[in-house]
Amino acid sequence: MTTTRRQFLSAALLALTPKSERPITGSFVNEDFPQGHLLRDRAAFPKPVETLKIPLVIVGAGVAGLSAAWRLDKRGFRDFVVLELAQQAGGNARWGENEITAYPWGAHYVPVPDKSAVLVRELFEELGVLRDGQWEERDLCFSPKERLFLHGRWQEDIEPAIGLTDKDRDQFRRFADRIDHFRRSGEFTIPMALGAQPSPLDRVSVTDWMREQGFDSTYLNWYINYACRDDYGALASDTSAWAGIHYFASRQPEEKGPITWPEGNGWIIKKLLSKLGRFVHTGAMVNHISQVGRGLRIRAGENEYLAEVVIFSAPTFLAPYLIEGFPPVHDFVYSPWLTANLTLEHLPRETGLELAWDNVNYDSPTLGYVVATHQTLRTFVDRSVWTFYWSLAQGNPSENRRLLLEKDWSYWKEAILNDLARTHPDIRSCVSRIDIMRMGHAMARPTVGAIFAEERRRLANPSGRLLFANSDLSGFSIFEEAQYHGVKAAEYALRMLGSH
Amino acid sequence: MSTLLFISVFLIAACGLIYELVAGALASYLLGDSVTQFSTIIGSYLFAMGLGSALSRFINRGLVFRFVWIELLVGLVGGFSSSVLFLAFAYTQGFRLILYLVVVAIGILVGLEIPLLIRILKDRFLLRDVVAHVLTVDYLGALAASLIFPIVLVPELGLVRSALLFGLVNAAVALWSTFLFADQLAVRAGLRVACVVVLAALGAGMFGAKRIVSAADDNLYADEVIFAKDTRYQRIVLTEWKDDLRLFLNSHLQFSSRDEYRYHEALVHPGLASLPQARRVLVLGGGDGLAVREILKYPQVVSVTLVDLDPEMIRLFSTNSMLTRLNQNSLNSPKVHVINADAFPWLDQHYDLFDFVVVDFPDPNNYSLGKLYTTAFYRLLAKHLTAEGLATVQSTSPLFARESYWCIAESLKQAGLRTYPYHVYVPAFGEWGFVLAGLGPYRQPAQLPSGLRFLSLRNLPEMFEFPNDMLPVPVQANRLNDQILVRYYERDWGEMTH
Repeated sequence: MTTTRRQFLSAALLALTPKSERPITGSFVNEDFPQGHLLRDRAAFPKPVETLKIPLVIVGAGVAGLSAAWRLDKRGFRDFVVLELAQQAGGNARWGENEITAYPWGAHYVPVPDKSAVLVRELFEELGVLRDGQWEERDLCFSPKERLFLHGRWQEDIEPAIGLTDKDRDQFRRFADRIDHFRRSGEFTIPMALGAQPSPLDRVSVTDWMREQGFDSTYLNWYINYACRDDYGALASDTSAWAGIHYFASRQPEEKGPITWPEGNGWIIKKLLSKLGRFVHTGAMVNHISQVGRGLRIRAGENEYLAEVVIFSAPTFLAPYLIEGFPPVHDFVYSPWLTANLTLEHLPRETGLELAWDNVNYDSPTLGYVVATHQTLRTFVDRSVWTFYWSLAQGNPSENRRLLLEKDWSYWKEAILNDLARTHPDIRSCVSRIDIMRMGHAMARPTVGAIFAEERRRLANPSGRLLFANSDLSGFSIFEEAQYHGVKAAEYALRMLGSH
Repeated sequence: MSTLLFISVFLIAACGLIYELVAGALASYLLGDSVTQFSTIIGSYLFAMGLGSALSRFINRGLVFRFVWIELLVGLVGGFSSSVLFLAFAYTQGFRLILYLVVVAIGILVGLEIPLLIRILKDRFLLRDVVAHVLTVDYLGALAASLIFPIVLVPELGLVRSALLFGLVNAAVALWSTFLFADQLAVRAGLRVACVVVLAALGAGMFGAKRIVSAADDNLYADEVIFAKDTRYQRIVLTEWKDDLRLFLNSHLQFSSRDEYRYHEALVHPGLASLPQARRVLVLGGGDGLAVREILKYPQVVSVTLVDLDPEMIRLFSTNSMLTRLNQNSLNSPKVHVINADAFPWLDQHYDLFDFVVVDFPDPNNYSLGKLYTTAFYRLLAKHLTAEGLATVQSTSPLFARESYWCIAESLKQAGLRTYPYHVYVPAFGEWGFVLAGLGPYRQPAQLPSGLRFLSLRNLPEMFEFPNDMLPVPVQANRLNDQILVRYYERDWGEMTH
C-alpha cells in the first residue's frame, strides 16, 4: 500500500496531538448464510417429528411476508403461520438495540408516499404516522437531513454544490427537467406495477443513457452513481436505466421527508409484530417445499406443514434450493452488502456543519453513515450509534461475496474506521464497539434488462398454489414494493382459499 | 550540503508566512472584518521585513552566530505569537497594539533572515546562483505554507498549535545551522544549549496549548471570573464587576444582575398575574431560579415544577450565597420541585397539566436547541396546559432577530395556540421579545404583585404594542423536519454583526 503525501502529513500532524485510543470490541452479527449454505450444499436435514395441517404458510418474515400477514389478519383470516429462518423477524428491515438507542441493520427510511401508494398510506394511518392527511412531524426526518463531504468540507445536501461550473449546474438542471418529464409520463410509479410499461430504457445501463443524453458532468455522474449504489447496491454502469430513472422520477421533488425512526424501518416491523407476532415462528428454517396431491408440504426443522397455499416471501434465489423441481433462476442478480453499527462514547469534533442524519463522503466507495440518535427529542446527545452502509458495488458480486466471507472482523473494522477517519480524524477515540452484518445477497439488483425480464414477469403473476411475494419481483428492494407484493399475494391466497 | 541548505531556506520561508497568516486569521477571528485585518497585517508585516533587510547591513561580524539567534527569536516570538495574542485579547485593553507589535517584531526578524543567509552563502557559491536559488526556494516555501495553512493546520491543529509547531521548526533550523555552519562558529556548545531551551519551551507550549486556549476563553469575559465549571452539558461561567453579577452558558450571556429583574418580571407577570386561579406552574429551562423567584410572589401558586437539564446549575443556584441572595433562595422553597431532564422528552413522557408554563430556553442557534421551538414541541406544550392556562415563551429579539421572533410566534400559532406577543427593553440584551400563548383568550391583568421594580399596570399595555421596525414579517413555522428558525436566526444575527 502506498501512502499519499497528504496521508503522511496528516498522520505526522496527528501524532503530535495527544490522543487516547480506546479498545474497540465487536463481532459479526445476524449471520444468515451458514443456514443458506446448508441449503446450497444440499445438507441432510433431520426428519420432521410432527405434521401440522394448516391452510396457508408464509415463508419469510420480512416486509413482504409480514405485509401478507397484515392483510390476512385485517381480512379476519388467521389460519396461517409465518416461518422465518433468522432468529429475528424483519429481513432487510431488521434492527438492533443497545443502552443508547435502537438502530437499523438495513432499510432505514420510507420516502413520503404520494396518493398512489395506497397501501403504504393505509399502513401509516393505522400506525399513526399519517393523521387527517398530516404527517406526524416526529416521524419525518429532522433537520439537518443530509450533508456531503466534498473538497475538504461538509456541504448541505448530498447533491454536490461546491466547485461546480456553470456547465455542471446546467446539466443538473437539465437532468431535473428530464426526470420531470418522466415523472409526468406516469410510468414511474410506486408501486411499480401501477404504471410500468416494458421500455427500451431497461435495455441500456444508466451510464450509457447518461452518455446518450450528453450528461458528462463529473458531479452529476457521481450523484447518479451514488443513488444507484445507495438504492440498488450497484454501480450506474451495472444498473438498468429504467431503474435509475425510477429512483428519481417516482419521488416528488419537494417532499419534506423522508419518514424515519431511530431503528429505521425496524420501527414498522416492531409495530407489525405487536399485532402479528403470534403468527410468526423465528428460527424456523424451511428446508424443503414439495407438491403433495393438490397441496404443498413444507418442512421446517421438526415440523412438517401440509398447506393448501404457500406464499414464498423469502429471497427468490433460495427458491431452487427449497422448492422441489424449481428450475435455476437466471435473471436475479444480488448485491452483496455490509452494514455496521458503531457505538460512539462521544461524538467526533465537528468543523463546519452540524452532524446530519445522513452523512456521505464524496471520495469514499462506501455510502456513509446514518445517525441513530438523530430522531431523538433530546437536545443533548453525547453517546450515539452510527449505522455505516457499504454496498460492495465495484466488481463482480460473487467475488465480493467471497471477500465478505474470507476477511475477518478486524479487517472490516479497520476498513470502516479508515474510511470514517477521512472525514473524522478522531473517530478512533470515539468508538467503543463495531458490530458488522455481512449479507451476501442483500437485495435483487436491477441489472440491464432485469426489470422487464420474462422470468420476473412469470414469477410475479400468480399461478398455482405457490405464490411469490417479495421486492425481487419488482427488481429493486424498497419497502413499498415488498409490501405491495405481500398484500397482493395475500389477497390472491384468500380468493384461492375461498373463505373470504 | 547545498540541498540541506535550501531545505532550511524553504522551512524558514514557510515559517515566516505562517506567522503572518496566523496573525491575520486570529485578528479576523477576534475583531471581525477580515479584509481590513488581512490587508493591514500583510502591509505592516512586509514593511517590517523591509526594515529588517535595511537593518541587516549593520550586522557585520559573527554572521552565523547572529543568524542562529535570529532564528531562535523568530521561533520564540512567532511560535508564541497566537498564544500571546489570545491572552492579550482576553486580559488587556491593548490587543491591537500588541497585535501590530508582534507582527512588526516578527517581520523585522524575518526580514533579517534572507539577507544574512545570502551573505553567509556568498563565499561558498556564486552570488548569482545564491540569489537565484535562495529566492526561488523562499517563494516555494511561502506557497507551501499558504496551502497547508487552511487545509491542514487550521482544521487539525488550530491557530495556537500551528504557530507553536512552526516555532519549533524555526528553532530546529537554528539548531541544525549550528551543525551546518559549525566551521563558521567560534562558540557552539552555548548556542546549542540555547536552541534546546527554546525547543523545550515551544514543546511545552504544544502540550499546554489546550490550557492556553481555555485560559484565554475564560478571559474573553470582560469582568472577573468568579466561577467556571465544565459540566457534562455546558460551560458555566459567573463573572463579577462591582455589583454586577453575570451568568454565561457556553459563552452566551444569560443575565446581568443589574437588569435581570426587567427580563424576569416581563417573563412571568404579564401571564401569571392574569391567572388568579393559577395553582400549578411549570418552568422549562431557567435553572437560575430567577423566574421561580417571580412566580413565588403569588401565594395561590401551590407548586412549581422546574425542569432543567443540568444538575450543576441547580446546585450552584441553590447553594452559593451570592446567587441565593439574587434568586431569594427560590430553589429551596418547599413549593419547588426540581427535575433534571431534557425538556422535550420529559413533556412527552408526563401527563401533568399546568395553569402557567414558563418556557425559557437558550436561543435557537443550532438544530438541537431549535427542536425546542418547533410546532411539534408547542403541540406537546399545549397538551400540558389547562383550558384557561397560558405559556410564555422566551422568543429572542423582535428588533435584532425579527424573522426569528415572528417565526416562533407563527410556530405557536400553527400548533393550535392563540398568541399574544410582547416585548421589553433589557439593557444587557437590548430589545427582547416574548410570546404568551394559550388555548383560550388572554386578558391583561388587573393587578400585579406588589414590590415589582419594573413592571406596572401603566406600562403593561405598551409592551403589547410593536413599533414599525418590529412589526410582524411573513415567515414560515419552524418544524422538526424543516427547521427554518435556525436559518432565520443565523441570518438575523449575521446581519447584526456584519
